[in-house]
Amino acid sequence: MRALDRKLLRDLWNVRSQVLAIALVVSSGIALLVMAQGVFGSLETTRDAYYTRYAFADVFAGAKRVPNWIEERIAAIPGVRQVQTRVVVSVSLDVPGVTDPVNGRLISLPDRGRPALNDVALRRGRFLDPDRAEEALVGERFAEAHGLDLGDRLFAVINGRRQPLEIVGVALSPEFVYGIGPGELVPDPKHFGFLWMTRRHLATAFEMEGGFNDVALTLADDSPSLERAAIVELDAILDPYGGLGAIPRADQTSNWYLENELTQLENMGLLVPLIFIAVATFLLNVVLRRTVAVQREQIAALKALGYSNLRLGIHYVQWAVVVVALGALLGIGAGLLLAEAMLGLYMEYFRFPLLIYNVSASSILIAVGVSLVAATVGALGAVRSVVSLPPAEAMRPAAPETFRVSLFERLGARRWLSQPARMVLRNLSRRPVRAGLSIVGIAFAGAIMVVGSAMMDSMDELLEVQFNIIQRQDLSVSFFEPVERSAVHELAALSGVLQVEPTNGIAARLRSGHLQKQTAIQALAPDARLQRVVDVDYRAIRLDRPGLVLSTLLAEQLQVEPGDTLMVEIMEDGRPVREVVLTDTVDDLLGVTAYMEQESLRRLVRRDDTISGAMLKIDSLAEERLFGLLKAMPAVAGVTLRSAALENIQTYMLDNMSMMMSVNLLFAVIIAFGVIYNTARISLSETSRELASLRVIGFTRGEISSILLGELGILTVASIPLGLLLGYGMIAGVMSAFESELFRLPVVVDPNTFLVSAATVLGSMAVSAWTVRRKLHELDLVAVLKTRE
Amino acid sequence: MAAQAPATPVHPTPVFAMNGVTKVYVMGEVEVYALRGVDLELHEGEFTVLLGPSGSGKSTLLNILGGLDRPTAGRVTYRDGDLSEAGERALTRYRRRHVGFVFQFYNLIPSLTARENVALVTEIAGDPIAPEEALALVGLKYRLDHFPSQMSGGEQQRVAIARAIAKRPDVLLCDEPTGALDISTGIAVLGALEKVNSELGTTTAVITHNAAISAMADRVISLADGLITSDVRNATKQPAATIEW
Repeated sequence: MRALDRKLLRDLWNVRSQVLAIALVVSSGIALLVMAQGVFGSLETTRDAYYTRYAFADVFAGAKRVPNWIEERIAAIPGVRQVQTRVVVSVSLDVPGVTDPVNGRLISLPDRGRPALNDVALRRGRFLDPDRAEEALVGERFAEAHGLDLGDRLFAVINGRRQPLEIVGVALSPEFVYGIGPGELVPDPKHFGFLWMTRRHLATAFEMEGGFNDVALTLADDSPSLERAAIVELDAILDPYGGLGAIPRADQTSNWYLENELTQLENMGLLVPLIFIAVATFLLNVVLRRTVAVQREQIAALKALGYSNLRLGIHYVQWAVVVVALGALLGIGAGLLLAEAMLGLYMEYFRFPLLIYNVSASSILIAVGVSLVAATVGALGAVRSVVSLPPAEAMRPAAPETFRVSLFERLGARRWLSQPARMVLRNLSRRPVRAGLSIVGIAFAGAIMVVGSAMMDSMDELLEVQFNIIQRQDLSVSFFEPVERSAVHELAALSGVLQVEPTNGIAARLRSGHLQKQTAIQALAPDARLQRVVDVDYRAIRLDRPGLVLSTLLAEQLQVEPGDTLMVEIMEDGRPVREVVLTDTVDDLLGVTAYMEQESLRRLVRRDDTISGAMLKIDSLAEERLFGLLKAMPAVAGVTLRSAALENIQTYMLDNMSMMMSVNLLFAVIIAFGVIYNTARISLSETSRELASLRVIGFTRGEISSILLGELGILTVASIPLGLLLGYGMIAGVMSAFESELFRLPVVVDPNTFLVSAATVLGSMAVSAWTVRRKLHELDLVAVLKTRE
Repeated sequence: MAAQAPATPVHPTPVFAMNGVTKVYVMGEVEVYALRGVDLELHEGEFTVLLGPSGSGKSTLLNILGGLDRPTAGRVTYRDGDLSEAGERALTRYRRRHVGFVFQFYNLIPSLTARENVALVTEIAGDPIAPEEALALVGLKYRLDHFPSQMSGGEQQRVAIARAIAKRPDVLLCDEPTGALDISTGIAVLGALEKVNSELGTTTAVITHNAAISAMADRVISLADGLITSDVRNATKQPAATIEW
């Protein structure tokens, strides 16, 4: 080993705790990046493999009832490669031992052979025996949630009749990676399940023999124009049969959620790691500058011995490289572990029959590369000022530092300040840039804490708004088909029902110029109390004008403003198209929805006064009995409990967010500690001579500690408001990056979040202070007097 | 050089008394003897010069007297107190109350002005001299609000002396106070020390390898290789202003 390399290793070893602190900050950034990229890459690769292997379709369409011979016409649409027709029905399920309402979807599998599209992956058991009517495959999460095993039985309530089903296999499908039921945000396998039955038997049970009500197809290529054309053709073919409008893969529910999740991962996986890497580079730069300044005479001596500027430059760059390499190593290791843990969590909610780990090497290389380049530039900047001096000059000590009375003192505070207080202020004001950078560095730690916790605050707010302000029913009932309005009275008559409000929803395609969007129009009574439309200030909006109210996001997507006219294509018989004026937009938080006053909607659809569901407020004591009564009503397709939905979402968030929160907390502490500890060590090495002098003339350890830590304290305290501000800005940025059709998170920060952030930063300061204070006790009083500065 | 006479104690109770003081530094695997059983007494109001080449142990001696270091063996007393047994806190208190230090490299706080550097000490002392007065004593009353970087080395060293005496220390310990200075500034600094000793009566010990300085002392102690080789009392003191080297 060359002598200079030995020097490198020993220098690093001498400041090992600082090196480690910086390497940890570097590693935090890289770990986050590797984690996000690993989860993103693995999910994407896994999804692609799953979709290909199990033939996930490109276009999906539902209809009322289509004769089987139409399949040929669909197959003949130009560009269609494969067609799969099916019978799909929504049912109410009766799982032995479960009193809560459980809903499900029964999907047909071909009588013989595997489906050409949307194949199922068998996890346990066997495929269906076409000769046995009662056999069913059940979705994996549903089976897990209810502890269902092969051979177990449950019942589908079909037209008020209990159809027994025997579980012979447990399956997954690319259609239900994110297996949510209607109206759900988060899969709730306790209350909603997917089941597969043989086509013949399912058709028989639902009077669908000789026909189908669901079709999926794949296209020859993935060009958008082909997709659009195929959808138009398919809609035209299905029109006479109650076609509900075809949707592309992008709008397929499970895929859409998965896609949203991947986009979020991709966005988050870049932003946050970059912040960490920036902070780490800053730290590295400061420490390196200081090291170089201290080694000024050594550098001069080495130059005098004949080492070139280049060689010395390389020497200090290596310094930075070692730190980054250490951080990269730690970060990649930690990132891979975290990615695996995160994937484990994802696999709980996004179900795949296979998992392909895929961490993009290029993104890791880019992260490490960016860290290296930033560190190298910092190192070169630090070395340049020293190597540019002629050796003889560099061997003399640097000129004494010039100080001046700080601004604060000049403003009149001087006479109130003790000499140690003046030292602190002047040290800080002598290097305002560095003090500023330290403040910014610590502020970042606080900001990251704020971001981590504020996401939780936003989610809480979202749920509060959704489940206490918007939805105030206890349970909602949906019907198979629209029923007469008088059903409201029937429901109201049930004992235990306190209040009933009808709901009415129609599937519709909104069009404005060439833009279009498939959605549901919800009809609400002007005086609706159980489900309301609220504006951004959570005030209920009265729907008393004829016309459409849209989510702001939806209006933006369609590029329409209040007063504009939209074309509404109603996804029902004949798909009539009507003109409707947009009367208002509403900044709602969940989903993208269209609302109309119920009477206006009825006139628009030109049908009898029917309702598609109802919201109920009930007496909780009567809950169980009511479930039974409702399930037994032939018209009832499903019953959803608000409390169950809320609980389910909360569990999901806790599962998902608590891990992210812990990771965030850990990394915020690392940054806070990294910055504060390094700042403390640097001020210690810069002022150790002064502090030792003070000790010699009789200052106690406590007194000199307060000088050193006073500086640290001022930096930390100054960083706190900035950190909170930065955090607020970052959370606003993160929330807008999170904005999707799925939800818009409100930017709310609980005061506790600010408190926790400030406390974390102060705690990190306390630990750093304690560590550095021990160094103060080791000051060599004699040595410092014998050496010149 | 002034005539020299054998040292005889003039005061009954010494300020400092050292008995068999030994100091061993362990440098890696080597033991270095800085002091090898030194016996010494310093008396009230004396101006003592400790003379010796580098490595003779004079700085170690001064550090032990000043409470910056403890002997490996032997006993050191300051008036009635035992410095060799004192703990860290007691030594800090001792330095704070009784000792004034002047160092070769001044050790001023660069971020504080001359006045503030002195105030640093007067703020924690019981019965201090006003910083302005202390600075006037060393001839710096026109430099009160200058920062160290705005002063010459001699001026900085005089600030250090003012800082050392402002607490009215019982002893003033100076380690090569002129070591970093040219002759004319060095003499100004020595003049300041002389003045403090004569006007305030502060017991003063100056260590130096510059034999010329011994002319201004009451007593000159020479050290070599960790032992006292001579201890003589000057019959007449030469004023600092007339010293040359």
